[in-house]
Amino acid sequence: MNNKSIKLFLLLGLALLSTKGYSENRCNDASSNKNCVQILVESNTGQALKDLVVYLEPLDGQLLEPNLEHLVINQEGRAFSPYISVSQVNSDVNFVNKDDITHHIYSAGSENKFSFKIKSGETNASVEFNQPAEVAMGCNIHDWMSGYLLVVNTPYFAKTNTQGYAYFDITELGKYKIVVWHPQMKSTDNRMIQEASVLPHSQFSFKLKNEMAGIPLQESDDDFDFLSDYE
Amino acid sequence: MIKLTTLFYRYISLLLLCFVQLSEAAEYKFHGIVDLRVSSSDSLDNGYVAGGQGKFGVSDGQQLYVAQAGMDISAQWDNGLSVHGVLNSFLDQEDSAVGITEAYVKYRSLPNEAGYRVQVKGGIFYPEISLENNAFAWASKDTLNSSSLNTWIGEEIRVLGSEFKITRLGRINNDAYDLSFSATAFVNNDPSGALLAWHGWATSSRQTLWGEARAFPWLPALAEGEELSAQADKSKPFLEIDDDIGYHLRGEWSLHKKIALSAGYYNNKATPYDVVNGQYGWRTRFYHLGMSWHVSKNLMLVSQYLSGDTLMQSSPGVDVVNNDYSNGFVSLTYKWQDIVGNRKHKSTVRLEDFSVTDNDDTVGDNNNENGQAFTLNHTYRFSSHWFIAAEFNYIDSQRPARTYLDNSTNLIEKQIQLSARYFF
Repeated sequence: MNNKSIKLFLLLGLALLSTKGYSENRCNDASSNKNCVQILVESNTGQALKDLVVYLEPLDGQLLEPNLEHLVINQEGRAFSPYISVSQVNSDVNFVNKDDITHHIYSAGSENKFSFKIKSGETNASVEFNQPAEVAMGCNIHDWMSGYLLVVNTPYFAKTNTQGYAYFDITELGKYKIVVWHPQMKSTDNRMIQEASVLPHSQFSFKLKNEMAGIPLQESDDDFDFLSDYE
Repeated sequence: MIKLTTLFYRYISLLLLCFVQLSEAAEYKFHGIVDLRVSSSDSLDNGYVAGGQGKFGVSDGQQLYVAQAGMDISAQWDNGLSVHGVLNSFLDQEDSAVGITEAYVKYRSLPNEAGYRVQVKGGIFYPEISLENNAFAWASKDTLNSSSLNTWIGEEIRVLGSEFKITRLGRINNDAYDLSFSATAFVNNDPSGALLAWHGWATSSRQTLWGEARAFPWLPALAEGEELSAQADKSKPFLEIDDDIGYHLRGEWSLHKKIALSAGYYNNKATPYDVVNGQYGWRTRFYHLGMSWHVSKNLMLVSQYLSGDTLMQSSPGVDVVNNDYSNGFVSLTYKWQDIVGNRKHKSTVRLEDFSVTDNDDTVGDNNNENGQAFTLNHTYRFSSHWFIAAEFNYIDSQRPARTYLDNSTNLIEKQIQLSARYFF
């Protein structure tokens, strides 16, 4: 094999790999899991919307294996990262402070009230989320910090990608309530709902009725690091 | 009768005692600033800190000095309680001093479901007025000399009292803006206004320590047999003379990363004819307005305005000093990040206009003043903690009282400063 053919071989390999990656995400590919369901979320003007939470709640009593992945919510750059997190009830949620300062994380909501101080480098796993909830979090030292955790009662949850898609590998077909949620969505309870029978290769799309409200900028009013306000 | 001041101190000691019991769970923090300064001033023989008529903190000539070495020591608990002690020292050829500038306990609640947060502060602290001195130990963030407005706050306005502040967070109410309102009841600020009357507006990074006595320029009315002969030769701004409680109110409306507007009113409610050990009560009242505006990503405009009066009498109804005063500044700070490609450089330009109007007929005590000031600062962040700054200050003022010491009414003062500031 000369250099040229090695290159060609590598390119082919890369192309194959990327096709595989593509097919794993896309449901309309023959090699994909036939139960894969695709959901598209668009703005009122037809733009793809990323980082909206999509979840499917079973309506036919389907028995689903819980998805109890550990969730990590970072405090990094004096911001919640990610801004929006989602997990199933009873999952472990770890708050990790990657900043070099202390934060005072809280949720003021009546159903999920909690607060703790977290020093630089610490992890806090003290809060349990055993009910579905929309948890709005802040930092009592840095008021601009804002983060959300949506706790859902289903293993089928995801955030839309940059193309506006969320994919679900559905093991139990049947009727589901499909919900799209975002704290800045201007609609009842910040969500849109469709009830539908999920079949192989099902595709659903949501188009928002209103423009999204602005996502709050998680940045200090002042980037000077030695302000007495924060102590 | 127990004096009000004593009661306040007892109340604070009691709170402190409660905190000591919680000391095990506390997080201790040490923050502060060391400001090494070299300056060259074209001014009068004595600056105002040395009791002279010069408007800078240092006198005419060159000087290498520690403009500020300050530390904010605090213990903080998870439940929102904290105790703070702020120590400051100023080591120069004018009037070196080391001591306490603030000492207070603070409780900050978590916001409730409706987005309201309560904060209570008790002890010795600055009423919330300055928009410049928000770095640790009340250091000015963007300039070396504070504006003349805030230099006065640092010199004569400090309280022993309790501040109650309520904040409504927009985030929890789906509003873009935050609102806050605070009310402070205080004692121990009765002589405030005396130094402003007798040396006028001045500009430096100096703060008066708690309990410190400050000199002021000589004037004929202080002579034996004259109107002010009972006045001590130094003024102590932080005394309680008449046991009346003063107050400060303040409100703020802010749009995050866009604009913050504030307004407040201060009244020390001093009895203007009470005098104890040569220190008079000066009934000082003023309102203040503030604006911080993010004009663009890299340009910030800060502006403050203050206007009020002060009154001191020899007996009820007989005015000795009756002054109105006002002061306003606009400052623009530009961050060079888009031009130089890093966040290390910033420049600040500030324009000030100030006046004092003397309304009384006291002979040998003319407090009239009118002036403008200009400041240009460039600061380079050398490392995460070290900031190197160069600053030019220019003051043009008319003050007839300068003729009492054979100086001219009209005066232009200039200063160039270089500093290395270490924040921690």
